[in-house]
Amino acid sequence: MKITINGQEVAARQGMSVLEAALDAGIFIPHLCKHPNLDALGGCRLCVVENEATGEVLPSCMMAAEDGMKIQTDSAKASGARKLSMEIILATHPADCTGCPKYGKCELQSMFQFMGVGPERWRKRSRSTPDDLGNPLISHLFTRCVRCGRCIRACRELRGANVLDYVKAKEGIRAGVPGGKSLAEAGCKFCGACIEVCPTGSIMDEVGQMKEGVSYPDNVVPCRAVCPAGTDIPRYLRYIKNGEYDKAAAVVREKLPFPRALGRICDHPCEASCKRAALNEPVSICKLKRAGADRAQDSGLWKARAVQLPTTGKKVAVIGAGPTGLTAAYYLAKKGHDLTIYEKNAKAGGQCRYGIPAYRLPDDVLDAEIAEILGVGVKLVVDAEVCKPADLLDEGYDAVLVAVGTHKGVMPPLEGNALEGVVTCTDFLKQARTNSLPQIGESIVVLGGGNVAFDCARTAIRLGAGRVHVVCLEAPDEMAAHKNEVDEGLEEGVILCNSSNILAIRGMGRVEGVEIEKINGFHFEEGRVVVSAIEGSKETIACNNVIIAIGQRPDGTEGMGIELRGAYIATGDTLQTSAKGIFAAGDVVYGTKSVVEAVAAGRKSAESIDRYLGGDGDISETLIDYEAPDPYIGQDLNFAGLARHIPELTEKSHRIGCFDEVEQVFDDAATADEAARCLQCDLRLCLTRPKLWNEYEGRV
Amino acid sequence: MRKIETDVIVVAAGLSGLAAAIAAAENGAKVVAFEKANTTGGAANMGMGPLGVGSRVQKKQMVTLTAGEAFRKHMYFTHYRVDARLVRDYYAKSGDTIDWLMDMGVEFTGVMRAFSAPENTRAYADGEFTWHVVKPEGGGPPGPRCASTMIKKMTERAAELGVEILLETPAHKIIVEGGKPVGVLAKTAAGEEIEARGKAVIVATGGYGENPEMIKEETGYEFGKTLFSFAIPGMTGDGLKMAWEAGAGRVPTTMELMYKIPDNMNHFVLDGAFRQPCLWVNRNGLRFMPEDQIANTTFTGNAITVQPGRVAYSIFDSALLRKYKRKGPDIISHVHPPDLYDHFDEQWERDLEAGYDPIAQADTIEELAEKAGIDVAGLVAQVEEYNEMCDNGFDDIFEKDRAYMQPIKKGPFYCCRQHVSAYGSLGGINVNYKLEVMDDEHKTIPGFYAVGVDACNIYGDSYPFILSGNTMGFCLNSGRIAGENAAEYISE
Repeated sequence: MKITINGQEVAARQGMSVLEAALDAGIFIPHLCKHPNLDALGGCRLCVVENEATGEVLPSCMMAAEDGMKIQTDSAKASGARKLSMEIILATHPADCTGCPKYGKCELQSMFQFMGVGPERWRKRSRSTPDDLGNPLISHLFTRCVRCGRCIRACRELRGANVLDYVKAKEGIRAGVPGGKSLAEAGCKFCGACIEVCPTGSIMDEVGQMKEGVSYPDNVVPCRAVCPAGTDIPRYLRYIKNGEYDKAAAVVREKLPFPRALGRICDHPCEASCKRAALNEPVSICKLKRAGADRAQDSGLWKARAVQLPTTGKKVAVIGAGPTGLTAAYYLAKKGHDLTIYEKNAKAGGQCRYGIPAYRLPDDVLDAEIAEILGVGVKLVVDAEVCKPADLLDEGYDAVLVAVGTHKGVMPPLEGNALEGVVTCTDFLKQARTNSLPQIGESIVVLGGGNVAFDCARTAIRLGAGRVHVVCLEAPDEMAAHKNEVDEGLEEGVILCNSSNILAIRGMGRVEGVEIEKINGFHFEEGRVVVSAIEGSKETIACNNVIIAIGQRPDGTEGMGIELRGAYIATGDTLQTSAKGIFAAGDVVYGTKSVVEAVAAGRKSAESIDRYLGGDGDISETLIDYEAPDPYIGQDLNFAGLARHIPELTEKSHRIGCFDEVEQVFDDAATADEAARCLQCDLRLCLTRPKLWNEYEGRV
Repeated sequence: MRKIETDVIVVAAGLSGLAAAIAAAENGAKVVAFEKANTTGGAANMGMGPLGVGSRVQKKQMVTLTAGEAFRKHMYFTHYRVDARLVRDYYAKSGDTIDWLMDMGVEFTGVMRAFSAPENTRAYADGEFTWHVVKPEGGGPPGPRCASTMIKKMTERAAELGVEILLETPAHKIIVEGGKPVGVLAKTAAGEEIEARGKAVIVATGGYGENPEMIKEETGYEFGKTLFSFAIPGMTGDGLKMAWEAGAGRVPTTMELMYKIPDNMNHFVLDGAFRQPCLWVNRNGLRFMPEDQIANTTFTGNAITVQPGRVAYSIFDSALLRKYKRKGPDIISHVHPPDLYDHFDEQWERDLEAGYDPIAQADTIEELAEKAGIDVAGLVAQVEEYNEMCDNGFDDIFEKDRAYMQPIKKGPFYCCRQHVSAYGSLGGINVNYKLEVMDDEHKTIPGFYAVGVDACNIYGDSYPFILSGNTMGFCLNSGRIAGENAAEYISE
């Protein structure tokens, strides 16, 4: 059907309001209480228009479009009524916008700019309501409320949460939580729809949530934004919650080929940025990934659409079968390149195999995931050390990726460091992993305060050491090791010596003890540690072995014939080194980080190498169609208090005698319950952002 | 990464950026503007109108001020410590710019002055009728925010000329090649990266008023402690940093000072009620200026900033309050409503109860001083001296206007602490009279322009309130001049 607006004929569909027909045709009519996702209310009356036939002036959002209708949006009657409506809104809205964080993002401001209403009736009644900043994540600044009711309708109609309503306060009616309850008490699920639809600065993200220079979706869904691999966390958590593990695995596998390994040993920066932490504790995202991936392992759903392009005829060699090299090889092989990985050790896996102990990451898990990678046609050559990457170019490879990691433990210039029985963490862990370790003694001292120090200490306990000390400079709350690593280690008998400086390793030919001194603190000066020692606190810990776990460096890079920065390989943005066709990625470029960073580096290098070889550099995959989440999340009076689930551990008596996996996977109930703790921060991004006047072609 | 090719790139579409974009487009350039907000106009949406000298409006109102006279006034005010040629070109252009706006459909209610000096100081500090106040599109008398109507007309004009304004898409880097800017990098709200390439870049981002670290670094003020300035979201100084990084010369900046009470918009009645020529003292209890000047927000802001703790205290007694309630304020403000004393009791009681820190009430001067944090002996002595002068009918110290010599005698006494405030920052990028950016050696960087408050180095230490509408006036005219020059540059 056709209707005429301001003399211009526009098409309309049955069931459309005049407002919708106008906006659809690119004719802007001011409106505030109408939101694209919400039913019309006719409340703000900014959208009033005149029906030429009847002379009636009514809100166009409530006026059904009828064939042949003639509408004037700007007749004297209509604009007079609209102006009055705006004045009524502004009469109680604070006049000064300069202190409002919504300035420049405010729909009311834009509407006001469009209409240019004079201020003669302003300042009539200020309805100042104390700001309520007591709720987590969502700030209520209802002095600015214009009573459009959008938040209330979104909360009730779109979400079924029924938390917000009109409340009658001394100053008048406004939006709020009835009964003076907090959002948590009212059963809010903190989805943020109210923030999203608020046209003013009345309901806002808590200060600090929206960071400058970060895109809007990244600010709203920080877990996904900070994941180095970019996994769509809220999306796979929803599948896990519903028990759809195959679908969850497909979502995870769109970004990384190690879901089961990372579900165990990821350092999960996502959890550090999880907004749920503002309520109580972050969602246990890492362990949920494991719960989903372990259950989905036999399914092939994710493979159904996996990309495999025809062969390009280009050959790529990867040096090092760690997480970076394996990831890069996987994606490059899927782009049709011919891939060969050269690995110095007997097995693939890199630090995942030779650094991380099996009680944290069992061999069979790693084997299965590597098998999938090799399954796309990646050739693996083990026991093959490549000293000069350029040799591979000479052998006919079109590109080479150096991803040899950091496999050389740092040995400090410490008195006694050459004594028999002193070993670096990398050597110790690798020897333990390959059963090539010389006998270790009864008493061990580990030097270092990171996760690797605890890996060494707990491995030593499993190898039969009776007394294991971990000595580090840091105080307990400054340690780099994750808290659960420390706690599990202490439970297994590790003796922790915080705020301690090792002065020397003592012994005659062989280690007999370490001399330590307590410190008040330490800092770095020109890259060297400076400690403030406590006088008279020297003591000696008797021991048979000392394991040094204070850092790792690349091994063998100096002979590679490419430009270095220290021991690390220098690269530009494309990850290409100083030698054409030779790329480098992962720990060997940026120093020891995490497995998920390594995966991200592998992806980045694959993109870059593909482009170098003439491809488009696009390694993205859509393994499963996007399914819009169910927005009707309901209310849950207990939601804010839902406690984080902790994985069960095997009995201490059992685990200290073997390398069996310590941490157990969540059972079905714990999996569903933990996944249900997710706030689904991405839900609000599914809402439509209203178009403002300056985005329309034709206007009133 | 989306790529855009254009002639002129404007960084931010506030008042100066819009003016630059329109002027460049009118002169044949293809223009793309990057704006952080979802709305054009930036801080100008809060304003009332720009300065102009020699406009049609002024002529109609029989205002005889010439651009040359305005130039002289400005130069005396700034003691010639600013770029005279830029000041001259700005005023010379400003009347025509008002006409230019009117041709776009902007209407002005008339020309006003923001400040009218008391008789005895008129020779030094009177306001000129330069302030062109925008007529709200929907009719009615003008007020704060009415300039947003002008922004709308300018935005429509820009669209008509084919200027592409990318909203919620801040530029974050100026691309420099061969020593001159050739484009910018920007990012949409959704996170999409954009690389725009052009022959000229105009920076128009509005200063650093919302960036406490930069305020501290540039001026020494501590936001929320020694300075309670407007902090308009988005004014983070990113444009200044981008320009400096791209080789622009760095010149000293200032904050555009005035004064107000903390969180004044939530205590607006008190903000207005105490802005009267009653008794004003510093933390030692000592008067520090003739109170007949307090309507001059620039001078008063300056005076407060040199007092101990950078605060002042405005004090009246019950008799004076009764008089204000009955007869209205001694000094009528163009910002605060004249009926504010009708609402005084309600706001005062509420704020006292809520513990609003800047205010105090007491039955004796001693108690008032103690509550307000003023030196007790100092205030007692000052009130005694002041009341004696009131009885004598003459201010021996500052020769304050006799009409305002009203004693502070009858309790309860009311006090409100006043703080230094500012509209925003001024200046930072070294420019010449064509608004071309110069490096630290004063060498022009081809194709590089800065406008608006990012380039407003012409005020010296204080806002020239004597030629009111000046900030918006400079934004408009610097933008327009730069836009015209950029269009000419790219056609060369």
